[in-house]
Amino acid sequence: MNGQSAEPATNRIAPQHAEDKKERVDKIDYKMVTFSLAGKEYGIDIMNVKEIARAGKFTYVPNAAPFVRGVYNLRGDIISVIDLRTMFHLPSERKGDDALESLLILRVDEHVFGVIVDNIDKVVGISSASIQPPHPIFGDINVKYIKGIIENAGKLYIILNVEKLFAPKKSAEVKTIVDGGLRKPAIVDDQAPEELAKIELSYQEQQETSGDLTSAFIKETLFAFKRFAVTPLNEAWFDQRYEEWKQVRKAMDLQLKEQGEADQFLETFFSPCTSQLWTEQYMKQLLAALPDVSGKNLNVWNPGCGKGYETYSLACLLKQRYPEARVKIWANDSDLLSISMAPNMVFMVDDVPDLYKEFMIKGRNGWTFLQAVRDTIFFEFHDVLNTNPVPPADLILCRDTVSFMSAIDQKRLLADFNEKSKNKSVLLLGVNEKLPTAGWKAVPVDGISMYIKGA
Amino acid sequence: MRVEYINPFVEAAFNVMKEVLGGDVRRGELYLKSTSMPVMGVAAIVGLAGGVEGRVLFDMDKASALSIASAMNGEDLTVMDDLVKATITELANMITAQAVTKLHELGFQFDLTPPAIFTGDNMEVSNQDVEALIVPMETGHGKVEINVAIRERA
Repeated sequence: MNGQSAEPATNRIAPQHAEDKKERVDKIDYKMVTFSLAGKEYGIDIMNVKEIARAGKFTYVPNAAPFVRGVYNLRGDIISVIDLRTMFHLPSERKGDDALESLLILRVDEHVFGVIVDNIDKVVGISSASIQPPHPIFGDINVKYIKGIIENAGKLYIILNVEKLFAPKKSAEVKTIVDGGLRKPAIVDDQAPEELAKIELSYQEQQETSGDLTSAFIKETLFAFKRFAVTPLNEAWFDQRYEEWKQVRKAMDLQLKEQGEADQFLETFFSPCTSQLWTEQYMKQLLAALPDVSGKNLNVWNPGCGKGYETYSLACLLKQRYPEARVKIWANDSDLLSISMAPNMVFMVDDVPDLYKEFMIKGRNGWTFLQAVRDTIFFEFHDVLNTNPVPPADLILCRDTVSFMSAIDQKRLLADFNEKSKNKSVLLLGVNEKLPTAGWKAVPVDGISMYIKGA
Repeated sequence: MRVEYINPFVEAAFNVMKEVLGGDVRRGELYLKSTSMPVMGVAAIVGLAGGVEGRVLFDMDKASALSIASAMNGEDLTVMDDLVKATITELANMITAQAVTKLHELGFQFDLTPPAIFTGDNMEVSNQDVEALIVPMETGHGKVEINVAIRERA
C-alpha cells in the first residue's frame, strides 16, 4: 500500500514545485526606470517617476546646496533640479551651458523635482521578491539610501530609495552635513538630527575599528533575534561574554547569523535554575541573603514569571524564611501559553527536590503544590509595559526579564520598580544583571544579584 | 488579569454565541491592550464588583448588531430600535453571567451590574490605566470583540 501511494505522490509534487519556482521568477510586480551615474547602473521605482525629459539652462539659485543645479520651468511649474552625481560625489562631465541634460522628474509625496543623471536607459520589469538587500560595504552611496540590488539581463542595478533620499520634507531643505571629510546628503526633519548623528558615528566606527563594529553588530542581532538589549544593566556580562565568544569561535565568524547562534551566545546569561524548581543549594544561598522583615504582610511582585517555576520556588522559600508573614505574590507574564499553565502545574516525583515535598500533595497525575501555597500566588496574564496594578512590594523578583526589552522599556520598568517598592524592599535580578539605578544597595553575595532599597 | 479568569470568559462567549446564533463561531488570538480604543458602533458594557473590580465590554459594528439581533429574535430587524438594543444587552448579560457562574464554581465571588448599551459613531473608550484582555470572536453575523478588564482589589 505504502509503496503504491508514495510513488505517484512524489511524481505529483515534483512538477508542482518546479512550477512554483518558475512562477517566482516570472512574476513581474515591480518596475523601475534605469539610468547610469558615472558608468554604473541605477534604478528608481517607476511609481516615483513622473516623467523623463531633456532640459538645460537651469536658473542658478544662489546659496543653495552644491548639488542643487537650480530651478527649471516645467510647463509652468517651477521645480528644483538636483544633480545626483554631485549629490553622491561622483565624477560628472562638465557640459556647456546650452547642452541638454537627462532629467528624471520625480514625485515624492506631493513634491515634484528634477534629478540630473548621466543617461536614462529604459524601464525594466522585475519581481520584487528577487531584490536583494544592500550590503553595508557599498562605497559610493550611503546604504540608507539604497533599497536593494537586482540582477537583470546580466546587469546589476542599484535601486535607490527615493523616499529616504528626498522625503519627507522638501528638497529645498536638503542639506549636506560636512563631518570628518564625509559629505553626505541628509534630510532635515524632526527626528533626523539625532538619528543622523548616530549614523554618522557608526559610519566612522566602521572605518576605524573593526573589532567594535563586530560587537555592535552582535548587539544588534541579539536584539533582532531575541529582543535582548545590551544596556548598563547587563553590559558587564556582555563584554565578558564577548571575549569568551572570541575564544570559542576562534577563526570562525564572530557574528550571529541565525536564531540558534543567538541562543548559543546567550547560554551563559541565564540565572541558575531557570525553568525548573530552584535547587536546594540555590535556596540556601537566598535564605542566607534575605534580610529580616518587620511587617506582617509580605507583598511580592514577580514580573516575567514564565511557567511559574520560580514563583512556586519563591513561595516555598518565603514560607521557610518568614513563617509568620502573610505572603502574597503577584506573578505575571505576557506569554499566554506559559502563564496559563502556571496555576495548575503538575510535577513528576523525580523532578521535585526533597525540600519541596512538605509543600506538595500527591494527586492523580502527579505532585501539585498545596492549596495553601497556591493561594498565596496570583498568576496574571499581564504585560509589564502597561500600567502595573500591583500594591507596593516588599520583594521584587525579576530574573532575566528586564534584559529582554528595549533600552527605553528597561528604563521605564526599572523606574516602575522604584515606584512600586517600599523602603528596604528587596530586588532580585538575574545573576548577570546589575542594577544601574541609584538608591539601591547591592547585597554582596556570590551568584545572586540582590539589591536593597535605601539601605 | 488573573489567569483563572481568562478561560471562563472565553468559554462562556463561545458557548453562548454558538447556542444563540448557531453556525460557525470562531475565536481569534487573545491579546492585551492598554491604549484607548475605538468602539465599532455598538458597545454593551457590564460592570463587575465584589472581590474584584472591572468591566466587560462587548463591541461590534451596527450591521453585526442588527444581524445578531435578527438571528436571536427570529425576525428581520433593519433599524437600531429598542428591541435590537435590548437583544444585544441580553447577549452581553448572558455571556457575562455564564462566565461569572463558572468563576463562582472555581471559588471566585463576582457581582454584576445591570448591562448598559452605547451606540453612536466615532466613539472611543479611553481608560489608559486599565489593561484589557481582548477576545475577538468571529461569528457568521460579523465580528464581536469582547474586552475584559478585571483588577484584583488590592
